[in-house]
Amino acid sequence: MSLDDTISTHSEGHDHGHHEAPEVVDSRERFGVWLFIAGDMVTLGAIWFTYLYMRGTNTDGHWMSMLGYQGHSYAWYENALNSSAGLPAATTIHVGPMSAGLIWLVALVVAVSAGIIWWAEKLLRESKNAKAFSNIALLGTVVVLLAVILSIVQLRHIPSIFVANNDSQVMAYTGYSSAMMMIIGVSMVHFIILAFLGLGLAIRSARGAITGEKWFQARLVRIFWVWVAISTLVTTLLTVMVNKL
Amino acid sequence: MSTSTIEKTVHKGNASGGGLARRQNFLTGLVGGIIFAWLFWWIARLVGDQSSRSFSDLTATSVTLGWLFGFWLGIGALNGPFRWLIGRDQTREDQLYYAGENLGVSRYWKFTTDHKVVGVQYIVMTMVLLGAGGILAMAIRTNLITPGNHFVNQQVYNSFISMHGMLMILGMIVAVAGPWANFVVPIMVGARDMAFPRLNALSLWTLVAAAALLLTTLAVGGLPVGWVILAPITNQAGVGMDFFAMAIVVFTVSTTVAGVNTLATVVKMRTKGMTFTRLPIFVWGSIIAAALGLYAFPYFLLAEVLQLMDRNFQTSFYVASGGGTGWLQANLFWMMGHPEVYVILLPAVGAIFEIAAVMSRKPVFSYKTAVGGMVALAGLSILVWAHHMFTTGWAPTLGGPFMLTTELISIPTGIFFLVLIATMWRGNVWFRLPTLWVYGFIFDFVIGGVTGIYLSDIPIDNQFHGTMFVTAHFHYVFAGSVLFGAVAALAFWYPKVTGRFLNETMGRISFGLTFIGIQVTFISMFLSGLKGMPRRYSSYSMLFEHTNFITTIGGYTIMAGMLVLLAAVITSWKHGEASGPNPWHANSLEWMVPTPVPLENFDVLPVITEDPYNFAEKVDH
Amino acid sequence: MSQSENKKSLVGFYWTWGILTVVGVVIGLWAPGRFMPASMSGNMHLSILTIQVFTVCAAPVAAGIYAATLHNIRHDRWRGEGVPPAAEAVRGNTTLVSAWLIASSVLTVFLLVWGLGALAVDNSSTGKNPLVVDVTGQQWLWTFHYAGTDVNTTQLVLPENREVQFRITSDDVTHGFWIAQMAVQVDANAGVFTEIHTTPDKLGTFDIRCTQFCGLNHSSMVTTGEVVSPQNFQKWLTSQPATI
Repeated sequence: MSLDDTISTHSEGHDHGHHEAPEVVDSRERFGVWLFIAGDMVTLGAIWFTYLYMRGTNTDGHWMSMLGYQGHSYAWYENALNSSAGLPAATTIHVGPMSAGLIWLVALVVAVSAGIIWWAEKLLRESKNAKAFSNIALLGTVVVLLAVILSIVQLRHIPSIFVANNDSQVMAYTGYSSAMMMIIGVSMVHFIILAFLGLGLAIRSARGAITGEKWFQARLVRIFWVWVAISTLVTTLLTVMVNKL
Repeated sequence: MSTSTIEKTVHKGNASGGGLARRQNFLTGLVGGIIFAWLFWWIARLVGDQSSRSFSDLTATSVTLGWLFGFWLGIGALNGPFRWLIGRDQTREDQLYYAGENLGVSRYWKFTTDHKVVGVQYIVMTMVLLGAGGILAMAIRTNLITPGNHFVNQQVYNSFISMHGMLMILGMIVAVAGPWANFVVPIMVGARDMAFPRLNALSLWTLVAAAALLLTTLAVGGLPVGWVILAPITNQAGVGMDFFAMAIVVFTVSTTVAGVNTLATVVKMRTKGMTFTRLPIFVWGSIIAAALGLYAFPYFLLAEVLQLMDRNFQTSFYVASGGGTGWLQANLFWMMGHPEVYVILLPAVGAIFEIAAVMSRKPVFSYKTAVGGMVALAGLSILVWAHHMFTTGWAPTLGGPFMLTTELISIPTGIFFLVLIATMWRGNVWFRLPTLWVYGFIFDFVIGGVTGIYLSDIPIDNQFHGTMFVTAHFHYVFAGSVLFGAVAALAFWYPKVTGRFLNETMGRISFGLTFIGIQVTFISMFLSGLKGMPRRYSSYSMLFEHTNFITTIGGYTIMAGMLVLLAAVITSWKHGEASGPNPWHANSLEWMVPTPVPLENFDVLPVITEDPYNFAEKVDH
Repeated sequence: MSQSENKKSLVGFYWTWGILTVVGVVIGLWAPGRFMPASMSGNMHLSILTIQVFTVCAAPVAAGIYAATLHNIRHDRWRGEGVPPAAEAVRGNTTLVSAWLIASSVLTVFLLVWGLGALAVDNSSTGKNPLVVDVTGQQWLWTFHYAGTDVNTTQLVLPENREVQFRITSDDVTHGFWIAQMAVQVDANAGVFTEIHTTPDKLGTFDIRCTQFCGLNHSSMVTTGEVVSPQNFQKWLTSQPATI
């Protein structure tokens, strides 16, 4: 086959800037977002696997309890070592599940933020009001930032156990606490990404880069936002319902 | 644009676009990375608790984060996100500047979005990774030339085997998909660039950042843990382990971004008439591997994040005394690790099919069976990971099921041989450089495949696992097969990149040395394994003396072959025989565009009416 | 053209296929006995037998691929000048593909059935008065405790023709416990016990080698053990000092 047979004139290709229609670009970008979500789903699956595997294995019965001391003050340890009495006898510490209320609250806050972004996008497409969209997107961002703060509160409340020997002091987390730190940490990274995207929506719409006509990016962000909210909810269900042995 | 305008404006770029990127390149990235690494180190020491047992790990992890952030900032990877955030999108001029328009050679040192530039950068990265891994291989083999040789001390040896493994694996992951899924796939499907050009540049430079972290590992205490980084021995390693774990985290970001890009390009940017059954078969190999990578690498990411948490935050994922288990790491690692074998293999197989068809002047035999075989292999590969764990003691009752899924892999693998041989059967096989490497691939892949059957069987694996037999088996698959596929692809598409042939004589010498070297090295290594020599030993019993000596000689031969290839790649770049745009008289689109390929590939997008394997009409002209 | 007639004759191909198959089978039957450690247990006999059976199955396939490739190189190579002309386009052959799929499936199913059967035999236990040995790996040493006694030793001595159950754990990192003459292998993991069992059936020394990378002196974590007669085993056991 000759070159001429293979390559024939193609009307869309003829404009010299090789400009593509916004719908074409959007369709491609939406596909890309879904692919990233697919990768994120695998990560979520791996996190579930880790959580359930650690709970199922429960090596040495350390899923929620460990032999050691509550708290981990270095000064206390030094004093105990230097006193004639030495370290007190270690006891089995049960850490217990983390506050289910707080876990649910984070999921709820993220779900609300996703709802806000969805509402904002709907409003933009219907009423073409970029100004209102900017404000509502900012509200969604603030709400998701609240989730970031709540996550930090959660991370600070993960109980550690202080395991001391005669020559070393070791702070450690039980299997459950470790798994919770992983889940909260990974969620928090997602919330921070959402906050960046939400802030972008607010600024861009205020500066005319997103308008009632150019609303595709609002949908891209909303798709990812809703996915994060859903993944937070299902993870919440897992960690609240499946934690005790 | 005409050639004369290029000459006039070389090294200047276009007049208005680019903004900050006009002043950014690899050097500013390096400087930014070093400054931020130092800054993060300083902050970590300032705020960190010196008495904490993880102080050094926290410091090291901060340094790696600082490096990544500074490198991204310095090279210009964050310009796009920042401008998106503040609503000042890139103009057409900016985009053209980023694509490297009129920038000459300097565009290879910048955050350039043009897929052809990224492809060439990937060729260099592949050679850097494989070259570094190869040097370590030579050090390992030199150490093993006699039973009690101490060419390097034991701790360094242990680091070398881990780093050799990881460098080679990462090098192999990008060896075919990196250069060619970037350089030729967009042209093959009739696109003007990848779907997300900035993400394309991001994936390349993120790989560079990861490679820098990985190589730095050797300078900060090494990685004396074995390449499968099995916990809990990883907890005994120094801060090199933090560098390594972060290198892997960064690497998974790079491959995920690259995989999304390849998939979106092929799914969304095919030109008119380019249906899925008209795609060149290499495109299929690339997208199946990309999809599989998207599935596999999150496990690796998580495995290393947990590793970092154990070391930095005292969690207990892999620590038995805290309720964790090394089996968790092994599971996560191999859930990534087995699909990853096919992430590596499938692009090479796709390239081999493509080259076999063009060189024997016949269509790919039973195209749909070939694609089906690749899909089946990818699907099966996610269900077989525990065959790497038959002897770990984890879940012995699952041995039977995993043996079943593993042995089923023989069927799609068999399809590859059928397709390949039936494609070339009764063709008019053109004996040029790429063809030789295709035959080498067939020869080695048979051995790699057949020896895999033994290892999939638990009673035999109980004997062979952890011995040199396993090492020889997967080296036949990687060094024997994938490397041969990668070199075939390089020899095949080199004229499209440079406009010149890869030197045929040097290429043939390289083929001869490498092919013989592979057989000598790994057949004697099989014998070491049969005799019972375990892997990762720095010294060994006199029983294994002769086979190891032969292996080392074979290893040197492979290195000689690779050095000749390197010399051929370098000398032919400027001085090779001119090839013209379509040296192999092939029909796929990458051969229809001029060489060098213009910035946006096609002036007019082509319309496709049939697959590229109809060679018959060509004769009439 | 003589070249195209040559292409059609498959006599050479069949001959090559046959010869290579025979070579493969002979090597496959001979090599395990020549190179592998001398067998000292039923598990090892079974492993060697399975290797031989698999080689016999794989040899014709591998030989067929090699013979076809050689035939292809010899007869289909373009010897003319310049670009070779198009060859006859064969885009598929349902019969060939089906036959290939069926043949490879049958072969795979056979390997699978054999493998699962061998696995069942491999895992089967006589259950009669087994000797239980607790194996502990540590960097870089194996310690053996004979259950029901106070004997802790670094030397493994086993009686002939009596099943031994190994219960294996580690004091530190993961090690791999492997007896090279008995084809039994399992990792020693901290915090859990893993089990393997085998019945030594030959007197003599055997090699224990660590197969899981365990740090600095991994390659020194090798030791030998001995299979002795039941009487000598009792003598040896009672002569060992009791240690806790």
